[in-house]
Amino acid sequence: MSENLSGAQIICRTLIDAGVDVLFGYPGGAIMPFYHALPEYPQLRHILVRHEQAAAHAADGYARASGRVGVCIATSGPGATNLVTGLATAHMDSSPVVAITGQVSRPMIGRDAFQETDIIGITLPITKQNYLVQDAAELADVVMEALAVAQDGRPGPVLIDVPKDVQNQKVEYTPPAGVGAQHAAPLSKAGDDAVQRAADLIAAAQRPLMMIGHGVILANAYTEVRALAERTGMPVITTLLGISAFPEGHPLHLGMPGMHGEVHVNRAIQRADVIVAIGLRFDDRVTGNLAKFAPRAQIVHIDLDRSEIGRNVPTAVGIVGDAAVVTRQLVAATAARRCDAWRAEIDAHRRPPDASFRGGMSPETILTAIRDATGGECTIVTDVGQHQMWVAKLFPYRRPNTHITSGGLGTMGFAVPAAMGVHLARPGETVWAISGDGGFQMNMAEMATMVQEGLTVKLAVFNNGYLGMVRQWQQFFHGKRYSSTPIWSPDYVKLAEAYGIPGYRVQHASELTDVVGRANAVQGPTLVEFVIEQEANVFPMIPPGGSLSEPIEAAV
Amino acid sequence: MTTSHAVDVLLDGTLLTLNRAVGVLRRRNVAVERLTVHPCAGSDASRLTFAMTADAATVDRVVQQFRKIVGVRAVETTTNDSNTEEQT
Repeated sequence: MSENLSGAQIICRTLIDAGVDVLFGYPGGAIMPFYHALPEYPQLRHILVRHEQAAAHAADGYARASGRVGVCIATSGPGATNLVTGLATAHMDSSPVVAITGQVSRPMIGRDAFQETDIIGITLPITKQNYLVQDAAELADVVMEALAVAQDGRPGPVLIDVPKDVQNQKVEYTPPAGVGAQHAAPLSKAGDDAVQRAADLIAAAQRPLMMIGHGVILANAYTEVRALAERTGMPVITTLLGISAFPEGHPLHLGMPGMHGEVHVNRAIQRADVIVAIGLRFDDRVTGNLAKFAPRAQIVHIDLDRSEIGRNVPTAVGIVGDAAVVTRQLVAATAARRCDAWRAEIDAHRRPPDASFRGGMSPETILTAIRDATGGECTIVTDVGQHQMWVAKLFPYRRPNTHITSGGLGTMGFAVPAAMGVHLARPGETVWAISGDGGFQMNMAEMATMVQEGLTVKLAVFNNGYLGMVRQWQQFFHGKRYSSTPIWSPDYVKLAEAYGIPGYRVQHASELTDVVGRANAVQGPTLVEFVIEQEANVFPMIPPGGSLSEPIEAAV
Repeated sequence: MTTSHAVDVLLDGTLLTLNRAVGVLRRRNVAVERLTVHPCAGSDASRLTFAMTADAATVDRVVQQFRKIVGVRAVETTTNDSNTEEQT
């Protein structure tokens, strides 16, 4: 049955038919027809953010927490360009996001019209695909295709640019074929030969290791990965985006590798003779100096994206496929074995966390208070910097996909808006957004969004009065010249009060349990400022470009 | 070893897909010679051909990036020295 609908109505209808129920956005001139239509579709909950960057991060957070596409909306020109950082973040971390932007009307395109920008051209390198829709009759198909492309294979962001007159254009609308059907691309299976070669390498290895990344979370491959580890006794390393894909505290879990990895973790990589890498891309923060990375190891690399195999490190066996499917095949092909001597060797180099992490207002005591207040049953969204590394190293994640952070792009300001998306994807879950004083101030206006939309996010600010990670680099590598890293903060308790939410400041460890407990229990958003040591560092640290064998372990 | 490779890309005949494909070369600062585009008779596809001077690993990386682009249908490379050909 066909009806006469505007382009804007078709967008709404198609989103609903595809199962979308939350949009993050901000209106403006060129997207007004869409916002005019929106109230006719109460199935679509619209979250009015305070800056379009937050809309993109929130959609990203929603996507990572739900496994479904996150959708954000912006107007043309500055609205669209404000999405760019969020789309680049989603692109680097393979998160399925669809952005719908208004564009000036077709006759005005290319005339430098008011709020016109070539957002298609701007976002080409940071999207999987994008569309400039020239005819409302194409809109339903384009929206459906965009949602599918964002999720298919290795996920990523897609942008749809819709001129204002196309949003107003009335056309005969017929629901496109496939609307309402759950989109499911076939999961790719590996060839038996490659799987057998990988199994043979594992069987023959003296010192095999597993490294797992975001691909394990995207593929829900937790059971398979755990089965492979337990069948072979291989210790498991989780990359920054792989954290929570394997239970912390499991005897086979080692920790995070790379620039801020523990010494025994990086040492294990350097000593390993076989590394089975699943769903990761050997980022430079993981490998350090590539020429000196894992010099003894033959690498089995399993990834959905063919272009990642052999891209950064040479592989002995490359397997392109879904992490769950391929790992299941590998479990079936692999004989049971143990790695007791190898694990003992690794454990002999295990050290307690750096002394600066313990006691007083240290990251460890703060995170312990959050763990105790939540019973460990929460999702933590982190920003970028020192606190991000402390959380990655110290928080005991037990459940899959409960650690969400900006890894590849390293986007400060990510945590606060992304946590709003996580909350909407998991309404029953306690969500803590942990930021430093720098990153928090980048997107703290989103507290207003939380209040207006009733979004319960617990905001933690680790305040050391510095852009701490940059200051740490200045201390180690730039002669302690703290250029533009001391950073002033407002009174966060008063700030919270101005937004009408409870705010707390913790300056002494003795107050931690009480305050964090109250902040966690209270309804609605709350803000807790943790006043931490000003010049604490993240140890150990591999200097940029250095080898994993050469960590800095104490202040210089 | 650095040699000259001919790359032949069959893609959707839209400027957006072409822009995305050329962007792969631009971003990686690939040394490109003789880039040409022409329509494929009797279809809505275009054929993008160019020559690049690089080692085999770089060529492989570029080819893999092309294959990820939505709208790219096939990529072939020919090493000008050996006349070996890879097809998808």
